[in-house]
Amino acid sequence: MSDPRVELNSKWSRRRTAVDNDHRVNESQLIARVIAGDRVAGRALYDTHAPRVYSLAYRMSGDPERARDFTQDTFIRAFARLSQFRGDAAFSTWLHRIVVTVISNARRSDVRFAREVELDEANLIEANAPEAEPDLKECIARAVENLSEVYRTTLIMHDIEGYTHAEIAEILGVPEGTSKSRLSAARGQLRQELAAFKE
Amino acid sequence: MDEKRFDEVLRDLPRSFNPPAQPPLDDMWAVIEDAHFNAPASVPSHRRMIRQAPWLAAAAALVIGIGIGRYNPRSAKTSDNPPPPMMASARELASDTSAVVDAYRDQTSHYLGQAAALLISLPAKDASGTADARFAGKAAELLVTTRLLMDSPAAQDPKLRSLLDDLELVLVQIARLRSERSRSDLDLIHQAVEQGDVLSRLNSAVATNQSSE
Repeated sequence: MSDPRVELNSKWSRRRTAVDNDHRVNESQLIARVIAGDRVAGRALYDTHAPRVYSLAYRMSGDPERARDFTQDTFIRAFARLSQFRGDAAFSTWLHRIVVTVISNARRSDVRFAREVELDEANLIEANAPEAEPDLKECIARAVENLSEVYRTTLIMHDIEGYTHAEIAEILGVPEGTSKSRLSAARGQLRQELAAFKE
Repeated sequence: MDEKRFDEVLRDLPRSFNPPAQPPLDDMWAVIEDAHFNAPASVPSHRRMIRQAPWLAAAAALVIGIGIGRYNPRSAKTSDNPPPPMMASARELASDTSAVVDAYRDQTSHYLGQAAALLISLPAKDASGTADARFAGKAAELLVTTRLLMDSPAAQDPKLRSLLDDLELVLVQIARLRSERSRSDLDLIHQAVEQGDVLSRLNSAVATNQSSE
């Protein structure tokens, strides 16, 4: 005779598999809880999205400290505005809009800062200082850096981070075709910049 | 560089262009948590906060549990050497930790109490059944808390972990009563509660928590 407990457990196990997905802690529940001030829910939401946000921030900045700052800033802003999230788009899309904005704002102030520094330091650099031949990695980094912001963002998101054109379009608020044409233009510029490179 | 080589460069970009380091998730979270959840401007009075968002207290307590795990009060215990003047901050930490432990214990008790109340008030096995959405709704709500607790350091306590595992199973079934209730469902739930000795373990957990207050 079979053990009723084993039988029960097996029955439970089957039923559990069947119903489990219905009651997973879903994202809208988490969001509601974060709005109510629930830190654990906040952490759960963060754990779900932070790796991808950080990865994008890292690619865009190339610096661990900045990637960290961008990620933190993104989540702080997102949590502060969470009550404004209407669920029209996926939460990840909404969050990525914030990270792209955060990075873009930071880059704009970097450019301003860099210009000022360049002006200040221009006279300190020796005119005839010997310059080492850059390797391919440096050339690529420089070429990507030289792309305009929208091209650069699109290239990094698509070719490096693997976002689809649909995702990019939604995050950047442009039609999918625009994302495709930006990628094509970005690759074209990159090709041009690297054309002269000899290995 | 020819076209072929350029295509290779493009394909290699994910590996070669600023490959991300491992994200410092805990460190970043500490900053985010502090900025968002501890910001004075966004924190109303304690009482009002709990009235407006009863989950807040539970949530705070759960995260505080994470804090307990991180701070590890044992490491703050006194050593044979007298504490140097700098230890003032360690004393503050110990006092904070104690508050944290209290809040955590209260809220875990609250959760366990709610779970016990739900199980006690479950309809009898032979009750005729209009599906009871109230039970199902409450179970679904507790299920969320259960799973958050299971993912938190609170679940490091093996007894509590085991209880949470069993509760999750029971709550999943009760939550399902919302859509389809049958005698066999209820039978199964009652059997699981009885065989797993869930109620007496719940009572014991509540009592343990209360006695440590």
